[in-house]
Amino acid sequence: MLFFSFFKTLVDHEVTIELKNDLSIRGTLKSVDQFLNIKLDDITVIEEGNYPHLSAVKNVFIRGSVVRYVHLPANAVDTALLEDATRREAANTAAQKTR
Amino acid sequence: MAEGDESVAAVSEPLDLVRLSLAEHVFVKLRGDRELKGQLHAFDSHCNLIIGDVEETIYIIGDEEDDDTIRTVKKTSEMLFVRGDSVVLISPQTQ
Amino acid sequence: MSETGAATVDDSKDPSGFLSEIIGASITVKLNSGVEYRGELQSVDGYMNIALEKTEEYVGGQLKHKYGDVFIRGNNVLYISQD
Repeated sequence: MLFFSFFKTLVDHEVTIELKNDLSIRGTLKSVDQFLNIKLDDITVIEEGNYPHLSAVKNVFIRGSVVRYVHLPANAVDTALLEDATRREAANTAAQKTR
Repeated sequence: MAEGDESVAAVSEPLDLVRLSLAEHVFVKLRGDRELKGQLHAFDSHCNLIIGDVEETIYIIGDEEDDDTIRTVKKTSEMLFVRGDSVVLISPQTQ
Repeated sequence: MSETGAATVDDSKDPSGFLSEIIGASITVKLNSGVEYRGELQSVDGYMNIALEKTEEYVGGQLKHKYGDVFIRGNNVLYISQD
């Protein structure tokens, strides 16, 4: 839930998604779901392996499981808030187990 | 609340080790001969991570069949989300 | 080999019983990649996530790294054996 909520705060920000097949796609984050599937608009493909067939594509839906990294705009990330939210989530999952 | 009894048992489950590394520098080993070093800002039970001021090292083994020389490529990123299924190992960096 | 020995020590135990019994012991964890980690077992959970102390990393039988503590994500684990 933590990362789903986190990515929702990044909607309309520019991100670069690096896939497990080494393809990198930059675009505007338009939506995210609980599986961390992601919709990107106004995409550009970072030329590393040359994927010319994607040059005509304007937006993509990326299945969460194929993502390796998402490069984030550092100025849009409140790290103190994230650390607090992580501690709370860890405490919650620990509490669930001992129940 | 759960937070109280949690701090008593410092490392009762493996993820507690990661919890104790929050806001600290960590070393992360990933699938595909990749390593990351940076400051840990978030994680969950899947080992999804957010790491700041990251240095990534990629080890590329020689492309010829009998060529086992290893080339390294380094990349940096200000703020990086790492999907948990790529994670192999997380270690707090002590230095 | 050693696994038959471990089974005869107490064959009433299930596998996770074995894991909780060797907490604090010196163990070897082999990953699917072939890399091995040797250290003191701090804790294990139901996913076979592992926390190790005073860990040594062996690649192809050769010592490559030493870590104070490590967390190993369970899905990478091939086996855990008591040294």
